[in-house]
Parts: sequence; structure tokens; C-alpha cells
Amino acid sequence: MKTIIMAIAMGFTLIASLSTANADPTVAQADKILPYPIYQHKMANGLNVVTVPFDSPGLASLYIITRVGARNEVEPGVTGFAHFFEHMMFRGTDKYSKEEYGAALKSTGAAANANTSQDRTVYHMTGNSDMLDLMFELESDRFMNLKYSEHDFKTEAGAVKGEYTKNFASPYNQIDEKLSETAFNTHTYSHTTMGYFDDIVDMPNQYEYSKKFFDRYYRPEYNTVLVVGDVTPEKVNALAEKYFGAWKRGEYKSVVPVEPEQTETRYVHLQDGSIPAYFSMNFKGPAFSDSNIDMPALDVLASIVFSNTSDLYKKLVIDEQVVRFIGGGAADSRDPGLFTIAVSMVDKKDMPYVLAEIEKAIAKVKTEGVDPALLERTKSNLKYRFAMGIDTPEAIAESLSHYIQLTGDPESINRLYAMYDQVTADDVKMVANKYLNQDQLTIATISDDELGVLK
Amino acid sequence: MKRMIKQLLSLLVILFTIQAQAMDVVELKQENSNKVVVKIRFTNGSIADPADKAGLTYATASMMAQGGAGGISYSDIQDMMYPWAASYDVFTDKQVTTFTFQVPVAFIDKFYPLIKNVVLSPDFTEKDFSRVMKEQQNYVDQVVRASSDEDYSKYALEHQLFRGGNMQHLKQGTSASVKTITLDDIKSHYQNVFTNHNVMLGIAGNYSDELLNKLKADLAKLSDKAYTPPVPSKARQAEGIEIEIISKENAFGSAIFTGAPLGITRADDEFAALMIANSWMGEHRKSYSRLYQKIRETRSMNYGDYSYIEWYSDGGSNQLPPSGVPRASSYWSIWIRPVQIASQLQSQYPELADVKIGHAHFALRLAIREFDLLIKNGMTAEDFAATKTFLRSYTKLYAQSPAEQLGWLMDSRFYGRTDYLAELDALLAGTTLEQVNKAIRKHWQTKNMFVTIVTDDSEAKPLADSLINNTPSPMSYSNLVKSGLPAEILAEDEVVANYPLNVKKVTIVNSADTFD
Repeated sequence: MKTIIMAIAMGFTLIASLSTANADPTVAQADKILPYPIYQHKMANGLNVVTVPFDSPGLASLYIITRVGARNEVEPGVTGFAHFFEHMMFRGTDKYSKEEYGAALKSTGAAANANTSQDRTVYHMTGNSDMLDLMFELESDRFMNLKYSEHDFKTEAGAVKGEYTKNFASPYNQIDEKLSETAFNTHTYSHTTMGYFDDIVDMPNQYEYSKKFFDRYYRPEYNTVLVVGDVTPEKVNALAEKYFGAWKRGEYKSVVPVEPEQTETRYVHLQDGSIPAYFSMNFKGPAFSDSNIDMPALDVLASIVFSNTSDLYKKLVIDEQVVRFIGGGAADSRDPGLFTIAVSMVDKKDMPYVLAEIEKAIAKVKTEGVDPALLERTKSNLKYRFAMGIDTPEAIAESLSHYIQLTGDPESINRLYAMYDQVTADDVKMVANKYLNQDQLTIATISDDELGVLK
Repeated sequence: MKRMIKQLLSLLVILFTIQAQAMDVVELKQENSNKVVVKIRFTNGSIADPADKAGLTYATASMMAQGGAGGISYSDIQDMMYPWAASYDVFTDKQVTTFTFQVPVAFIDKFYPLIKNVVLSPDFTEKDFSRVMKEQQNYVDQVVRASSDEDYSKYALEHQLFRGGNMQHLKQGTSASVKTITLDDIKSHYQNVFTNHNVMLGIAGNYSDELLNKLKADLAKLSDKAYTPPVPSKARQAEGIEIEIISKENAFGSAIFTGAPLGITRADDEFAALMIANSWMGEHRKSYSRLYQKIRETRSMNYGDYSYIEWYSDGGSNQLPPSGVPRASSYWSIWIRPVQIASQLQSQYPELADVKIGHAHFALRLAIREFDLLIKNGMTAEDFAATKTFLRSYTKLYAQSPAEQLGWLMDSRFYGRTDYLAELDALLAGTTLEQVNKAIRKHWQTKNMFVTIVTDDSEAKPLADSLINNTPSPMSYSNLVKSGLPAEILAEDEVVANYPLNVKKVTIVNSADTFD
């Protein structure tokens, strides 16, 4: 074990020394997980501009993170609207009609797209860094001056319905919708990012609301511009000032209702025999934080107890072969979300047994904590996994945008990984006792039974 | 003397090079990288399955990558790699099987024995066999039909196109064939088709020459059995438009894939010309391509519509084409993502309470008509220039990470090229509009195609009747959308609704009976 720990320590030294090759010598980078400096420039209108130079000759990724997602859908009848609005962002402006926008986008030769989740909407382009000027122009124009006809608005709703239609083929998506509304009663996490089908069908009638939505959220204070790749902060900041300087700050703040404390186990079931029987255990977890130990400790717990090197995995998947897949972890979210353990069964008859085994594994952590050596190995895994994953501008931008959505600050990534280093065996025991409790639990099941068998 | 030693040394280098050339090796040294990527590829794939053992190559590869090796159990291997965050996996396609190993530079020496064991000394235990085969059986019995109707329709289309040939079956096999695979089958298949005659080594990142030489020497120890990879079967020519409708309970829409044989691949220079036409018509996940504009953007019918001139793996997730799926036997295809079915339209809009079929027939007519128009009219000079410029930039994005760069280089060899993406750029640069329009007319036709539609059981029969009878299929918009549509779109709808398709055969297949 000592050898392993030494090797780990040596590995970190190597990564740190490699990373300093590209670093600004004035910035102490060696002890940060991201081996590249993050340059931030806060514009007068509140827009945050983030640049991470990376050795990718001729290639850059431009991401705009709008910190608005399904979480902000606080009014009745508009579930799924943040996602729908993401679609509308491709529908043109006075300067660029939707056809001209498409042609201009094509002329950049970039891979461009967007996606929405609970807490944010992300618009991204990866392409030739020489095209950055045009990319900035196109993005600023639609973020500041989006304009679409009522007919285009109504038409786009059909594409969203098409997206729901394709997703519906998966029973996992169906149970996800039911799980959200069962685990949350008040908070907007009670609906999925896609929204309820009835609201999607009604979307064409929400043209006026869509203008309000744009006016509220497509404002500098809700957005971060992030560029990673063959760029300098000077160039990026100048482009941001040129194209986003005139963007006016807004005033709106959405009030997201607080979810009341859950007091007993909840159940939800989907009758579907088309896939192997499945269940998930969903405990109420904490909100993401880069300064509180709870979330980092839960991440470590998830890796130790539920990853494919865990005792549970070895027992249920490898040795007894009663489970096809088991995995678990907390979803990072701005407000308290769910810590989920998902299990796909070989045979549904073993569901109660597997549930009991998971409960036993959790109980063990609650009373005995975790092996300190395994804890160190887990910390090593978390760090190296991150280091292995950041080998393109897009991969770095994806990673940073995740933390920007959560806190607004890309440095959260470095703070979080520093927190992982501080997690103790006691912390892991503490979070198991604090969060993984029956009264905080929602169990979701899929099987061909009319009623869930775990109730 | 000094000179003699020098000469001797250079002779040794030459000898070594000659010996090294015996194994196909692709190198991509990146000294600034913090990792090493090793790809070990075997030219076998699912076409190497014995006729009565469909799924055997996939099973063998899975046993190697998800089982014990070198006497170390799978669990213990996972434990060893855990603190390094090293990983490996395998991807089996129709013609190749590729193992990919990735490790931080700091741990390559410790990791190396695992690479060696996985490839040279898989344990093939009964216990691993039981687990791996259960998973494979599960996939062919259930998962393939129940996860994504889009992928389902795509696999079912291949099943039609290659019926009777070695490209037909799912790489995972069939419900019946997987049941017959034994551990002895796997052991002998490993000796027969994972040999030192059909292996290619790829290595990228910050590796040493010593590591490379070790890899070469060790891979030479693979089975020495003579092996000639089978020739992939050609896609069949349909007789007219032949449609299979897969009827499924509780489907929410109609997922459509259609295709016909294509005689060229990346090996042919002409492929670049057809690529320009295809990109304009249906570039994967691009909102400015023609099909997307016509079906999704203007008519609000679904989530997207694209076309392909080669296999595109996992299109629902991948934005850019991945490496690792080179194929010598090809077809071109159109992907129409799920469109509405009648029962859904009826329940959503009172004004559509009387519709008899959903949008599948109209969407198919619209897509095929767009191809017919392109075949007849060719691309315009403006569209050609814009698309060529786009592709010359866009294709540079295909290989960004070290693993993808290596993968694309290895795929290049499959097609007899050295660096396909670089060569492609030169080919695109030299392609003329005349060449593109010639390639369109030469390679695309819509009279003889296979079509697969996965749909709800309530939709299957009315849709089949409509298709076989070439019944007019007027587009059924909700009033909300219809009221704002310009007259030219409504006029075009009228033409599309009555557009004749050369449909000669429509079969309804129960979902449970597919892939047999």
C-alpha cells in the first residue's frame, strides 16, 4: 500500500510539473487540479468573461453559460420552457434572419450546438480560432437582439415535441419524469428539463411569455462567456467588450420555492417489461458547494461504496451475478438535489435482496466509516480521472461550464478538488448518517408488475 | 573502424525497421501529453463470426476486456487500476475489434502488464463467461428493442440491407445464436481470429520507444494461426422500395431509416465529392442542412433529419463521427427522427381528431423528393462553395483528443490511406462542382431502397396500407402552425402529399420477431 501511495504522490508531482509548462509564471498553478490558469474579466455590465489558453493550435471552444434552466420555471404551465427557449435562440435576429444565421454559422465551419438542464442552458461552438470574431458577433447578436415571428415560435414547438417523442422510447426517461415529481413537491426540480407533455403541447400558445423569458434571463448577469484553446485573454476580453459591451443589465430575479423536508419514504413505479427490471434509491442530498465538505464527501462515498471497484459491485455483479449494473452518486445541483443509486437487475425476483444489500452497505459506512487506505486511493482516482479527461479545448470547456453553472465561478473546480483532499473517513461517515436515511428516500422501480415490488 | 560500426548500426536499424514493418504500427508521439493511449486493433469484427455463432467475436472481445487476465481476476484488475484512473475497453464493429487502453504517464510501467495480459493471456473463466453472456443475451433479447426506437430502426435497416450476408446480424448476435455460444467456442475463436497476422498497434501520447518495442514484441506472441479476414457482404439492391414496419406496443412516434447500397468508401477519392453533396443535404446534427430545414425547421415535424454515406456510430449521442468503425461494405441512408403518429395527433389537437395516419408517409415522401430534386438539378455553385468551405474546416474537428487522433489514423490504414483527414482536405480542396453533381447522379437513386419504420401497433396497419397503395398523405398540421404557413409551403405540401414512391413491398413485423 505504501508503494501505491508513493506512486500516487509521484504521479501528482509529474502532472504538476507538466502542467507548469503552459502556466503563467505569476500564477501559482501547481496545487490546482486544472493545470492551466483561468483568466476572468468582469465587464461593467456584469458579464463574466473567462479565458483558458490551451495548446491546441488553431482550435478554440466558445461556450456561453446561461444560468437558467428548468429550475427557473416557477410559473404554472411553463415547464420545459428554458429548454424550449434554447431552441428559439437559433431562430434569427433583425441583422441575421434565421436563414442568414444558418449560413453564417455554417461559414464558421464550427461544431455548434446547445443543451439545457435543470440549472443552466449552454450554447457552444468549437472551431477554427481564426473565426472567433465571427463567432462572437453571431453569439452577441442573438443573445442581445433575438427576434422571431409568432409563427416561427409556434413551429419550433413541434421540434420540442419531436424531442420528447424520441426520448419517450426509453423507459428510463419515463421513470425519470415520475421520479422528479415524486421526490419533489414544491421545488421546480419536480419536473424534468423537457417539461410535462401537456405543457409542451401548449407551448405554441406561449409567445408573449417567451418574450418575457428572454427579457428576464438573456442578460449579462445571468451569463458567462468562456473561451478555451488557442487564444489569449487579451484577445478574448477585447472581443467580449466589442460585441457584448452594449448589453444591458436586467433586473429580474426568480424566486425558486424551497422544498420542504421529506418525512417518509416515497415510491414510484413504471409498469414496463420491455427492459430488465430496474430500481433506483434516491436520497435528498445537499446543494453543490465548493466550500462545504458534504458534497465532496458524498462523491468520495459514492466511489467507495457504489463504483465498479466497490465491495457491493464485486458481490452483486461479479460474484453473485444478480445485478447487471449498479452505480451511485450525487448530481451536482444549485439547490439540494438527489443522491441516486441505480440498479439494473438480472432477475426481478432478487430486487428485495439487492435493496437489502445496499441498505447493509450504507449501514456499514454509517457505523464503521471507510478504510483510510481506500479513501486515499479514491482521492487519487478522482484526481487522475479528471487529469485524463481534459485533453481538448471542448473537454476543458465542458468541465468548467459545469462549475460555472453551479456557482458562477470557474475557480470552483480548483476549490472542489482541493476539498476532496481534505475529506476524512469521519466526513464520509458523517454524510452517510446525514443524508442516506429512509425518511429522505424515494424508491423508483421499473418492472412488468402492476405495482412496484419494493413497496 | 568507427565507420564500420556506424554502418553496422545503420544496418541494424534497417533490419529492425523491416522486422517492425511486419506488424502494422501507427505512432503519434505527443511529448506534452500527460497520458499514454494504446489501441490494439484486430481486423475481424462481427463478420468473422461463424455462420451459426453470430455474436461470437463480440463475446470473445467482451470476455477479454471484462474478464480476468493473466491469472488476475477482473475485480482485482479493477482494483489495481483504480488509484491510477487507468482504463481500458473494447469496441467491436462489423470488421474490426479495437481495444483502447489509457493511463497517466506516471503509471504506464505498472499498467503495462495488464495490457499484455488482456490481449495475450485472457483467463476465460466459467464465472466471467456466465456474467458476460447474460449481459449479451439481455441485449439481444430486450435492450436493443427497448432503449431507442431510432437506433432500433437503424439496426433493423442494416438487417434488411445485408440480409443473407455476413454483414446482416447484430454484432451482439441473435437471441438464438447467443444461447449456443460456449466457453470453448470463445477460446478457439480467440486463437483463430485474434492473431499476430491481423493485429494493428496504435500508440499515442507521451510514450517511450522502449514501451513501443515491448508492445511490438509482445503482440508478436499472439496466436500465429493463419488468418484471412472474410470479405464483407455487399448491401442488397432492393426491388423497388421495400418497407418493413416494425410494430411495437406503446411507441410514441414513427422512427424511420432508409438506405440503398453505395459502391464507394473513404478509400475512393470520389467519396469527397459525394461528401459535399451529403453535407449540404443532411449533415449530421446540423440545422442548416436541407432535410433538417424542410422537415424540422419549416414543418415542425420532428427533432431532426440527416443523411449519411457511411456508417455513423451512435448518432443520437455523437455530434462528430467517431473512429473505430471502418467498413468496406457501404450504403447511403436517410435518418428521419421520430415523427407523430395518428393516435398522438388525435389526442393533442381537436382539429386532427379524424386523421387516419401520422406523419411518417409524408416525411418519407418529402425526404425522397428532396433527393430526387438534388439528383435532377445538382447542387448550385453557391451551395457547393459554402459546403466545401464548411467541410474543410469541420472535418478538422473530427480528431481532437489523442485517442481520437490515433483512432482516425488507424482507420486511415483500413482504407489504404496514411492520414485520411489530411488527405481528405486536399481532396475536398480539389473537388469541382461538376464532380459533385456527377457523383450524385452516379451513386444516388431513390427507385430501389429499403425502409424501416419502428412505430406503434395502432399505426402499423394504416401506415402500411397508405404506403403500398401510394395513397395521398396530406400533412396534418395543428391549426396553430398551419395558420402561419406561407402559401408556397402549403403548395409544396400538396406536391409532397401526392409524390409517387416506387413502393413494391410493405411488410409488418412484430417487434419480438425482429433480428431473427
